[in-house]
Amino acid sequence: MISQFFVLSLRGDNIVFRDYRGDVPKGSAEIFFRKVKFWQGEEGEDAPPVFKVDGVNYLHVKVGGLLFVATTRVNLSPALILELLQRIARVTKDYLGILNEDSLRKNFVLVYELLDEMIDFGYPQTTSTEALKSFVFNEPVVIDAARLPNLGPAALFIQGTKRVPGTSVTKSVVANETGGRKREEVFVDIIEKISVTFNASGYVLTSEIDGTIQMKSYLSGNPEIRVALNEDLSIGRSEFGGAFGGGSMVILDDCNFHESVRLDDFETEHYLTLVPPDGEFPVMNYRMTQEFKPPFKVFPVIEEAGPFKAEVVLKVRADFPANVTANTVALRLPLPKTTSRMSFELEAGATGQSTDFKEANKTMEWSLRKIVGGSEHTVRAKLTLTQERNVNIRKEAGPISMSFTIPMFNASKLAVRYLQVVKKSKSYNPYRWVRYVTHSNSYVVRV
Amino acid sequence: MSGHDSKYFTTTKKGEIHELKEELNSQYKDKKKDAVKKVIAAMTVGKDVSMLFTDVVNCMQTENLELKKLVYLYLINYAKSHPDLAILAVNTFVKDSQDPNPLIRALAVRTMGCIRVDKITEYLCDPLQRCLKDEDPYVRKTAAICVAKLHDINAELVEDRGFLEALKDMISDSNPMVVANAVAALAEIQEGSSKVIFEITNHTLFKLLAALNECTEWGQVFILDALSKYKAKDARDAENIVERVTPRLQHANCAVVLSAVKVILQQMELITSVDVVRNLCKKMAPPLVTLLSAEPEIQYVALRNINLIVQRRPSILAHEIKVFFCKYNDPIYVKMEKLEIMIKLASDRNIDQVLLEFKEYATEVDVDFVRKAVRAIGRCAIKLDRAAERCINVLLELIKIKVNYVVQEAIIVIKDIFRRYPNMYESIIATLCESLDNLDEPEAKASMIWIIGEYAERIDNADELLESFLESFPEEPAQVQLQLLTAAVKLFLKKPTEGPQQMIQVVLNNATQETDNPDLRDRAYVYWRLLSTDPEAAKDVVLAEKPTISDDSNMLDPSLLDDLLANIATLASVYHKPAEAFVSRTRPTQTRDEDEEFAEQDSGASDTSAPAPDGAHQVHGGYPGAGPSGPLPPPGGYGAPKGPVPPTGPPPPAPAPVPDLLGDLMGLDNALVPAGPVTQSAPAGPPLPVLLSAQAGQGLQICGQLIRRDGQVFYSLRFENNTQMPLDGFMIQFNKNTFGLASAGPLQVPLLQPGTSANTLLPMVLFQNVAPGPPNSILQVAVKNNQQPVWYFTDKIQLQALFVEEGQMERSAFLETWKSLPDSHEVSKDLPNAIVTNSEATLERLLKTNLFFIARRILKDTSQEVLYLSGKVPPNVPFLVELTFLVGYPSVKCAVKTPSPEMAPLFFEAMESLLR
Repeated sequence: MISQFFVLSLRGDNIVFRDYRGDVPKGSAEIFFRKVKFWQGEEGEDAPPVFKVDGVNYLHVKVGGLLFVATTRVNLSPALILELLQRIARVTKDYLGILNEDSLRKNFVLVYELLDEMIDFGYPQTTSTEALKSFVFNEPVVIDAARLPNLGPAALFIQGTKRVPGTSVTKSVVANETGGRKREEVFVDIIEKISVTFNASGYVLTSEIDGTIQMKSYLSGNPEIRVALNEDLSIGRSEFGGAFGGGSMVILDDCNFHESVRLDDFETEHYLTLVPPDGEFPVMNYRMTQEFKPPFKVFPVIEEAGPFKAEVVLKVRADFPANVTANTVALRLPLPKTTSRMSFELEAGATGQSTDFKEANKTMEWSLRKIVGGSEHTVRAKLTLTQERNVNIRKEAGPISMSFTIPMFNASKLAVRYLQVVKKSKSYNPYRWVRYVTHSNSYVVRV
Repeated sequence: MSGHDSKYFTTTKKGEIHELKEELNSQYKDKKKDAVKKVIAAMTVGKDVSMLFTDVVNCMQTENLELKKLVYLYLINYAKSHPDLAILAVNTFVKDSQDPNPLIRALAVRTMGCIRVDKITEYLCDPLQRCLKDEDPYVRKTAAICVAKLHDINAELVEDRGFLEALKDMISDSNPMVVANAVAALAEIQEGSSKVIFEITNHTLFKLLAALNECTEWGQVFILDALSKYKAKDARDAENIVERVTPRLQHANCAVVLSAVKVILQQMELITSVDVVRNLCKKMAPPLVTLLSAEPEIQYVALRNINLIVQRRPSILAHEIKVFFCKYNDPIYVKMEKLEIMIKLASDRNIDQVLLEFKEYATEVDVDFVRKAVRAIGRCAIKLDRAAERCINVLLELIKIKVNYVVQEAIIVIKDIFRRYPNMYESIIATLCESLDNLDEPEAKASMIWIIGEYAERIDNADELLESFLESFPEEPAQVQLQLLTAAVKLFLKKPTEGPQQMIQVVLNNATQETDNPDLRDRAYVYWRLLSTDPEAAKDVVLAEKPTISDDSNMLDPSLLDDLLANIATLASVYHKPAEAFVSRTRPTQTRDEDEEFAEQDSGASDTSAPAPDGAHQVHGGYPGAGPSGPLPPPGGYGAPKGPVPPTGPPPPAPAPVPDLLGDLMGLDNALVPAGPVTQSAPAGPPLPVLLSAQAGQGLQICGQLIRRDGQVFYSLRFENNTQMPLDGFMIQFNKNTFGLASAGPLQVPLLQPGTSANTLLPMVLFQNVAPGPPNSILQVAVKNNQQPVWYFTDKIQLQALFVEEGQMERSAFLETWKSLPDSHEVSKDLPNAIVTNSEATLERLLKTNLFFIARRILKDTSQEVLYLSGKVPPNVPFLVELTFLVGYPSVKCAVKTPSPEMAPLFFEAMESLLR
């Protein structure tokens, strides 16, 4: 099992270090960091998450600007270790409210206490925030939220990690509110990451949605919760595609559930019953390749305008309802290596838009602070080349990659019909938040 | 609690320790707790606060769990360096282990197990015994892990006190967490032992399957991994297990899913019903694909595993190729793995789609990725003959974009395509020649030159093209020089006109006179002689038809693949290497200085590397067309090879040409070198064979032999010092060899006074530095000490030391395996010096070396006896053996059937020495 666990900052500073077995030399953190920093493999310069040096295996994940690392000498399950490292990060975040170098340092005693309960002799033990509460006695020192970037619901839409994007909630699940009484509330977030690849004629080549229903509960007394999903939901792609499904059917390719979820009525009634443990956790992960309407369509025009000149016109159209607004939209277009200069022309009256030419990797960037559903925007650019082209300029440019966040929108149409807190008292009416958000994952338009 | 923990880091005043001491002894609890926190803070940043040991331990007697935990944290850290003081804590531990609060009981046992001090372990046994039977499951699960801790410190104690039995009983515990930890502890103990400790019986199987549904995700992984070692009795048994495990595929934790896949794949081997297997494959596909929605780190692990799975069962994901298309924001390590899988899943049906993707990738920014994408197109061309033309067209389109590294990579793969489909696509050569001037990478240059030479008769200006390369001949890397040489000869043979004739003169002169590279020189001499004696023969040799190549995308050797598939969801499946190659059972030694010294020796000794005189190395590189590589007598004018220069001291009496054991010998991995008079292979008897005679070793005699003990390979060595001085600082190093044998730890030889000797057992690991090429039994060893030069000698790898304990086979399995292997894998040999005088005694002897008896029969007509045996050598190569002999008469006929028939000669050697 694992020999050591440690957390390093991206500068290589040792923030947390715990040795469980004494069979790996002390300098391992340094060896690891040097290896990662100067990785030179045949597979590029990004260190893979699993590698070995002198008989010691190093496994690591990057979470919130920190490196979570485990070492071992035996042939164990790497997926187990990587999942464990992710979990440690999540539990620590549950306790500390926010996960960064500062919060770890300020709470080192608590962190060590948590680690001792989560890992014994290198074996993962209890890693649920809920269960840990009965063994862990130190209280977190919540770091000053005012020093953090503006929170509130908008924080939900900050680009997060792949499967578990940052939620709005940065308060600790165990720490008491400064006001004294805890607010009774539960958050259910439907977070979808969509990947679409368009070919040069605008036709969708591949599309996929990775979704998570994430919950974070602050309810006292751990009441049972019922989450009801679409009635026309079906799981498992049939041989016939969605041919029989009709228009509105939601077909998931595959899904999996948190261990607290009871699925007794899922097949028939499409609802999930669970007693949510404290802390943030994914109730259900799902994957869908059924066709859906991509939220954005991009119309690129790249034309030669003389031997040393070319013109680029990008038009983007938002194909979603007008009451929805996408934010932090950005489009990136790699241009020929011989591009030396660019000039841009935004549409008349454009606000919240900016353009840039990144000299280092010859890429044009177009950012839009927000796009209202149904609207269209265009940017024109002229570029100067240092050499005459030998092939069509389109072959040297692209593909366009696009990133965005669309709050209160989900492409899959998977929906929470209702969220019921089953508790005896009639007067009990906790805050229930159901929120949707769609992030781009790999949204690519080939030119 | 108020304030921040970080404030404990801040005090750096004088007398800090003194201040802390006072606070630790304060009567106020809060002050005490704060003080302990400060101590821990100092400890975590590496300050030495061990002098506060007694004061901290005094705080241990408290009901406050928070404080207690802090003290325990401190204790674990410092007990090792202050064992005597740690004893002070024992009483409190023992008392805590009987506390009414289960949390305190568990904490006490957990912490005691972490204190690796012998004296403490003695006291641990009684509390542990109690806690294993505790009424609280939290205590029991902690105690289960504690048994593994104790076993790590003192295995005997665990067995003597019956803790193993207690652990086994815990498999039936009512609490699933306890079951899971007991399984984990037992699996670990089994791992380090050659005895059977943890075997899953019918009864335990039932218990494990029941606990599987209840326990935590981590527990599920422990149990699934244990289940994967269970050998089902029959197809029904296997189906039952699979049915219980399949729901785990729905788990949100990827580790659970992968371990479940492992169990299902294992049991599937036994399931005979085609429908059931097809159905299982169908069920496994969506969860495997879902793994690719996880974090990129986990995706990487999943992809490495999927790579193995599709090699065995491509049907599982045959329709899912789209999910392996790269996303633009995938990390490079994920993209590279996806490419590999795309090649493996590419078929006539989806190739158009795949090619479109590859073409896109080939225009991306990341150079490594682009290169791999171009290569992928070529590999698809070689794999799918119906799609070859389309692949080539894509490559040509890419060449036209004129990105230099794309062009070079394309030329490399086109060379392979030409070899795969001779006389089909040569029309594109003209296009390739346009890029000639821009080639600057050796491999691309060599490929282009090969193409020119191979098709010289169809390229009108082939001589001009080659000429353009010749100008820089002396500066080119060896790879290019070799190709230029061969291409020039080909051109001459195909167009024996004036131009090429002049060229060949120049090239041969250059390659024989102006070079230090023995490979190039040898090849040139071979050509020279061929051309001057019999040009027709030269044609037959140089322009011989070449064997067709095939796609290398399913490269893993079948036996290695078997081994790796059994290890799905482990590190082995990520590295694609057998576990033996990177896990050594021996604990690392603490003497780190020694390692460093060794490193120094490395660099020092490699100075001795000199071009080895070549006896048997290959004459030509990886390219075809150079003819056979027989050991030709060197033509005249070929100076005697230079011997190596010993690093220090007077030259050894018999400076036989020795290989450089520490390096790669300039790429000639297998250079076989006569070891000179030093190595007389002495008859194997009870005394160890002499490897280095006292005469050759200036008074140092080394005897040794590979042996097997408790499932591990050791090098049993004896050093005799017959010199006039004490010898010390012994170190050992092994050259690359067929089994990659290398030392697992430093050589432990004490200072040797004159006239004394020492024996030692050096633990060995396998697959550490494997020599490529056909297997052989040569083990080249270098030994040094502080007083003498480095000694080199050659030993024989005796296969009998490598037969593993797991080589036993059921009779039915033996028959099946025998039948399943093609006849070409059967090799037989008469062993004239072998004799069996009593089959029982022989079988017993063979059993000791892990050759297991299967069956015996008597041939009626000749009254010869036939014995069938099975054995296995790492990584997972079975040997099925048939011995035919007449009892009491010399000569035994030995036939073996094995997936690796090239190992048979080694096997015969071993058999001959065993049946002597």
